[in-house]
Order: sequence, then structure tokens, then C-alpha cells
Amino acid sequence: MFGSANNYLSGVLRAAEDYDGENLGTFLSLRDVHVQNHNLYISQPEKLVERMLKPPLDEVVGSHLKVLYYLSQEPPNYMEAYNHQAASCSAVVKLLQQMKDENWCLPVMYRVCLDLRYLAQACEKHCRGFTPGHILEKAADCMMACFRVCAADGRASEEDTKRLGMMNLVNQLFKIYFRINKLHLCKPLIRAIDNCSFKDSFPLPEQITYKYFVGRRAMFDSNYRMAVEDLSYAFTHCPDRFKSNKRLILIYLVPVKMLLGYLPRKSMLERYDLLLFHDLALALKAGNVKKFDEIVHEHELVLIRSGIYLLVEKLKFIVYRNLFKKVFAIRKTHQLDMGDFLSALQFVGVTDVSLDETHCIIANLIYEGKIKGYISHAHNKLVVSKQNPFPSLIST
Amino acid sequence: MENIQFVRGSCERFCPDGEAKMRIQKKLLNYFEYKDGQKHVPGVLVKEFTRSAADAKVPKAKDMRTELCLTRTVEYLLKDIFMDERKPYHFVYDFIFDRLRSVRREIVIQQYNPRQTICLIEPMIMFMAYSRYRLCEDPIDKFDPKICNQHLQECLNVVLCCYDELDEEAQSMNEKKPTIREAERRYFIEALYQIFNLGTPEALVRGLMLPIQVRENEIFKLAFSICLNYHQGNLYRVIKGLPKLPHIICAVAGAKLQTIRRRLLEIFTHAYNSKQLTVPTAYLLHLTLLEPKSLTEQCRHYNIAQTPDRKAVHFIKTEFKIDAETIKAHRETFIDQKLSRIYLPEVLLLKKLWI
Repeated sequence: MFGSANNYLSGVLRAAEDYDGENLGTFLSLRDVHVQNHNLYISQPEKLVERMLKPPLDEVVGSHLKVLYYLSQEPPNYMEAYNHQAASCSAVVKLLQQMKDENWCLPVMYRVCLDLRYLAQACEKHCRGFTPGHILEKAADCMMACFRVCAADGRASEEDTKRLGMMNLVNQLFKIYFRINKLHLCKPLIRAIDNCSFKDSFPLPEQITYKYFVGRRAMFDSNYRMAVEDLSYAFTHCPDRFKSNKRLILIYLVPVKMLLGYLPRKSMLERYDLLLFHDLALALKAGNVKKFDEIVHEHELVLIRSGIYLLVEKLKFIVYRNLFKKVFAIRKTHQLDMGDFLSALQFVGVTDVSLDETHCIIANLIYEGKIKGYISHAHNKLVVSKQNPFPSLIST
Repeated sequence: MENIQFVRGSCERFCPDGEAKMRIQKKLLNYFEYKDGQKHVPGVLVKEFTRSAADAKVPKAKDMRTELCLTRTVEYLLKDIFMDERKPYHFVYDFIFDRLRSVRREIVIQQYNPRQTICLIEPMIMFMAYSRYRLCEDPIDKFDPKICNQHLQECLNVVLCCYDELDEEAQSMNEKKPTIREAERRYFIEALYQIFNLGTPEALVRGLMLPIQVRENEIFKLAFSICLNYHQGNLYRVIKGLPKLPHIICAVAGAKLQTIRRRLLEIFTHAYNSKQLTVPTAYLLHLTLLEPKSLTEQCRHYNIAQTPDRKAVHFIKTEFKIDAETIKAHRETFIDQKLSRIYLPEVLLLKKLWI
């Protein structure tokens, strides 16, 4: 089934002449079957390639063959493979620059950039001698070169503009920036997409990925309403057959919504194997600070790995609020003794808390608008509003 | 990547001969480079910081110092010059800062490995962290906290990357584990990084991902719990934790105190908001780590009314001056006390941490 190198190259040529970006992309993909073709493992393919293809496509393909060559070695030489993939990516930039008013080769760019990221990840894993994240950052630089060409293509019509490739690249870059913990680099990318006049005409799968990352970023910036909006979009538009992707979105969406006062349904958590949140929600609802801490502690590693530990920690003040609301429900008066709140904290098992800290916690809840009222220090009492002293979280 | 050879320094003096000759000739010596008490006799010169520029030649081996010499340079600066009391501290700081910067530049040019880099940069971090506090009351023309912060952050980023690299090596190659001393220095610097970046999610994320040995270290644990409490909004625990931090880290925290106090006072103006009721001063002093005089200053600055006898405070939320700038950092008595109990050169050079 595998032909000679010449067969491969004429296939490439045909795809290019037909303006068939998808097909050409497949010829350059490291996930395609052609990578198993031993006839293509050529250490110096330049001459051969130049005979068939015009520049800069010859460089794209030549570098690709070198990547195959280095990956076929035993053990695979990831570092060299990466370097040639980066060269291939730079050649794609030239290819893009050459094409005015046409964008059929965008799939080629997607493919080459995607493989560049995979190879960078492989280098990070297998190679030594550089600071962690360095190769990924370099890969991001290569992609940025592509991005700039795409973003600058403002004159072509809406169907032919290379700007349509921006979102795909932005998503790739997000994946890198999230991995190397450099979220501040996302900001200019988001702005570029926001300024796009046709931002709704990007393909739906890309939009879902985009919203997922933008939502997560908003979450880190403590911009929770935005986060819920974006993540909800991603969740509702993601088709049901991508269950693991939906689960991934929920991991962030559920705690952010909890922070805004929405508790998740158990049936849904069950469907996505996220019952941990059910336990958290129960402790939260009951105002059981101690139990809440215990669950967080028990699942610490899972929460840290999925990047929501800090978010879950923020729920703590809501747990306090729910506990204090119960004190109000029991006492049924608008002048509540501060000592009662302290007792409540001690009752649920918080041992290392003082009256001063109780004051500070309640002060904070008042400041955030989660309790309506004021504290009288002299009488050691919290005086709550006659109307709606514990406003629902959804409205605050 | 690994087989490229970088220039290795061969100079064994603090200042290469070429530069020394030039600067003596052109009379470009710093006060500390003249011989003790004499005006025109050159003493110990230390290589100046110069930027890499397009027209400058690639430095030669004889213009760069050996690793041992760089170590001795750092020690000389942070001990002999640092303890020199003939000039005000901001002057001392400027000199040391510049000369350390040239050490940093050589580390980059000579491409030192993580271990070498860590040993040289860690003391610089300590020095800047300390100076940031010591000079916090100086006017901007004598000391620029922003530039100091920037360089401190840069140095921290460099060593953190080095730590990560060593972690990875230790995992993949079973290379030698860090000594107890090295580990302790790292715990201290990691804790310092956390407090210096109080309130930033990046630092917290790093803190969560660190190897278990670091996370279980007492100092780191304390620093990290302060940051987590800050993140949650529990300022009470932040304030209670700060004074427990060791000397230099506590000094770093000192720079954050005014922001914390401001937030606390702002929260209180909402929580204790009342035209009739007051809150006793003693309670506030205890929660803000302030002295009575400074509390009065804070109240005046943010427009919070005190009773005539200054024994209590009126909190009225509409009167709090939201647009007032946060008060500039001050020296704090409890931090000064901590610092007075240690021998600074030893701590700055991390020879002994005095914990």
C-alpha cells in the first residue's frame, strides 16, 4: 500500500494544484498512515523535493520528511524532529504570505502547528538541558508568526480571508499558555478575536474550545459571571457524544456556579462521574465548615491537578454564610449575639477560631453583601436587616 | 544544544585589569573603590554593570571572572561593603545593586548551570528583599521601590526555574539529591516568593504544584497558608500569621501590610457602619498591627472619624475615602526587632538562616 517517495510527492503536488488544503494537510500530518512508509525516511530530501515542488512548499514538505526521518530513529530524536517541524512551520508562514486573497491552505497550517505542539510536548517529556516550558514557549513563538500573518489579512473578502484561521491558532496557543502557567499572554489573543467583525462565523468546534479556555481564564481573574457565561456556552454546545470533553468543562463550570449560588443536580454529576462535587455541595448547603475542609483536604490532589483547588477554597465564605444563616433561623431575631456564631463554628468542629476572627468573617460577609446588617462592637451583636438579611447568592 | 561551548571567565580579581585601568585613568571610581580614608588612591575595584550593546565586542575570557571569583565578589559586597557605615544605606545599596547586576550578567554570558546560578543569585534575592524594606521610607530620588521589585521578581524567576530544572533532573536521572543546606535555602526562597507575590494566582498555583518536601517545610507552610487565607479573604489569619514569619520574609510582608490594613479598614467601615456606635481603638490596633500614632494617621488618611479621646473609632461607610492612595510602606517595629536580632551578612549570604 505504500508507494515510493515520488508517489508521495506527486500526491502532494496534486493536492496543491487542486487547492485541496484538507488533503495537503493530511500529507503533512504526523497522525496519517504515510508516516509508517519507510520509503519516506530520508535524511536529505532537498534535491528530490525541489524537483517536484515549488518554493516555499518544497521547504514545508522537505522539513516534514526530515521530521519523519528523525522520528524513525531508535530511540526517536525528538529534539531534531521538533527543530525541523519548526522549520516547516516557518515555511508555512512564507506560503501564507505568498497567497493573496485565498485561504485554502489554512488546514495545512492547522496541521503543522498541531504537530509542532505535540512534538514540543514530547521534547519537554523526553529531552533535557533546557528550562521546563522553554520548548513549548518557542513553539508558541512559531505559531505567533502564523497568527500575525492571519490577523493582518484584513483586505480579503470574508470567505477568503486568512483571518478565519485565527481562532484555531488561538486555541492552540491557549493550550500552551495554560500548560506553562502563563495566562497573562492570553489577553492580546482574546482581544484580537473580540475585535473580529465575524467572530461568530468561526466553526462551532473551535468556538467551543475557545469559550472553554476564555471561561477558564475569566475564572482565574475572579471574573465569575463571565466564566459561567463562556463555560455554559461551551457545555451546552458541545455534542453529547463527547462525554469526556463535557466532563472537562463541568469540572470548572460546577464550582464557579456554586460560587454564584447554584448547586449542581446529583443526577447530572452522576452521569459525568463527578460526585465529589455532590459531597461538597452537601457540606456547603449545611454550612458545615469542618466537613467542607475535610472533603477539600481528602481530594486535594485531584482538585489541584484539575486546577480548581483555589476556586473551591473560595467557596469557604459561602459555607460560613450558610452556617450563619442557620443561626439566624434558630434564633429568629434581628439582633444576634456574636457568641452564637462562634458557638456555631465550634459546633461544626472548627476548634481554632476566636471571637475576633468571627467578627472579621462576618465583617467580610457584610462587605461582600452576603449579609445585610451591621455589627455593634459594644454589644457584641450582629444586627441584621428586617428585609432579606441573607440575600440569595444568585442576586449578589 | 548541549555541546555549544560558552566563554569561561579566567579573571581572578573583582574587577578585570582592562576595566580597572580605564576607570582609574578616567577617575570613574565609586566612593567605596577608593582606599580607606584617602581621596585619590584606588582601593578595591569591582566590575561595573554595562549593558550589552551592538557595538560592544563579545567579552573575552580575561574580562570575565571565574565562578570562585564571582562568589567572592558577592561575599565581599554583602559583607564588607554592606557593613560599611560611612555612607547612608541608599548609597550603599546603589553600589551593591549595580555590582551584583554585573555578576548576574556574567552568569548569563557564561551560561552557568542551575546549581551555580542558584548559589550566586539566592544572596541577591535576600539583599534586594532586605533593602526593599530598609529603604521603604526613602524618597523616590534616593530609592525606587518599583525598580527594586522588578529586579527582585526577575531574580526569583531565575532561581525558581533552576529549582524546577534540578527537580526534573533528580527525577529522571537519579542524580544526587540536594544537601540539607541547599534544601533549606530553597524552602526559604520559595516562601519568600510566595509572600512577595501575595494575592497572585500564578504564585498560588506554583505553591500547589511544588514537591512534597517543600510543601511540608514549616516556613513554607506558614507562608503559603497566609497566601491561601489572603486568597479566601480571611484577613484575620493573614494578620495573625505575618508576625510569625522569619526576619527577611517578614520584611517582605511589611511591604504588603499597608494594602492589607486598608482593605481591613474598608471592610470594617461597612461592617461596623453606624452613626452612633463606635469600635474601640484597642481592638483595631490588635487587628491591624498598628501603633496608636499610626492608627490616627491611617484614620485621617482614609477619612475615618476618631472620638476626641482617641479611644474609639466611628465607622461610616459613605465617608471612607475610596479614591485615597494607599499609604506608603513604613518600617514596622516588630519587623525591625526581628532584624536586629540577626547578623545580616550571614543571613543575606544564606550561610546561616538564624531561624
